[in-house]
Amino acid sequence: MLELVAASLIGLGAVFFIAGTVGLLRFPDIFCRLHALTKADGLGLALVALGVALLSGSMGDAFRIGLIWFFVAVASATCSHLIARYARASGEAVSDD
Amino acid sequence: MSPTLPPELARPARAKPEFVSTQSLPATRPPVLSSWARLRRFAVTALVLALIWAVLTNGRLDAWIFGIPAVLAGAAIGLMLPDSARWRMSPQGAVVFAIWFAVQSVRGAVDVAGRAFAPKMPLRPGFRRYPLRFPPGAPRVMFVNTISLLPGTLSAEIAGEELIVHMLDTRADLASELSALEARIAALFVLHSLEGDRG
Repeated sequence: MLELVAASLIGLGAVFFIAGTVGLLRFPDIFCRLHALTKADGLGLALVALGVALLSGSMGDAFRIGLIWFFVAVASATCSHLIARYARASGEAVSDD
Repeated sequence: MSPTLPPELARPARAKPEFVSTQSLPATRPPVLSSWARLRRFAVTALVLALIWAVLTNGRLDAWIFGIPAVLAGAAIGLMLPDSARWRMSPQGAVVFAIWFAVQSVRGAVDVAGRAFAPKMPLRPGFRRYPLRFPPGAPRVMFVNTISLLPGTLSAEIAGEELIVHMLDTRADLASELSALEARIAALFVLHSLEGDRG
């Protein structure tokens, strides 16, 4: 049962990673692509982390996985802001209508 | 439960920052730390880093060969960072915010995934300005970073006292979404309006 729940979470996480990648490829400019990466991949990682933590069976491992998720989440929000700011400063092409 | 802005805050957008912490006024140019405060900050940072290291290495003793220098270096770097205005978080506020945050990041991810997969890709991207009402410090950082996980918004740049937000669909109602987020962060950090008490 636990394995089934964990596998579903990991599978769903993979779907969001694919969505993030599809967005990265299809979206028209760097700013829209950042949306796809920060949001879709962020949730993808959270779901995969949750599934793996359920399978790990030890509190220490679960805590470490949680810590990794937390640092990646904070870093990705900050990085996307920095990339967007740099793109604006360097006059990156914008799709705007 | 949906927090709403106190009446004195419900006014048209576009104004100067107006939230202040109950502990201290916004410090744009923070005072130089006393040696006692520096020692305290070094000790607190070192303790937190040591705890994280212990958890990461599963408490292995031999791992401290790398851990001790890394913890000391990290705490020393912490001293070089500019001091920020002090802040406090309400514990029940943190729980409420964490649950809300989880729901919003799912909404944001489902929204962007839907747009990525949709054959016609419903996008109407563009930039919008929003006046920042938090002074520099932890609440502002929290506000700016959380925006990037809300559906369709991404904080792109802080220009003076304004935040430039990139939106996937500029027809969405940015102001109401962001002022709701402001109210939530004000509750999380136990902030009051300028008209409120300054403790």
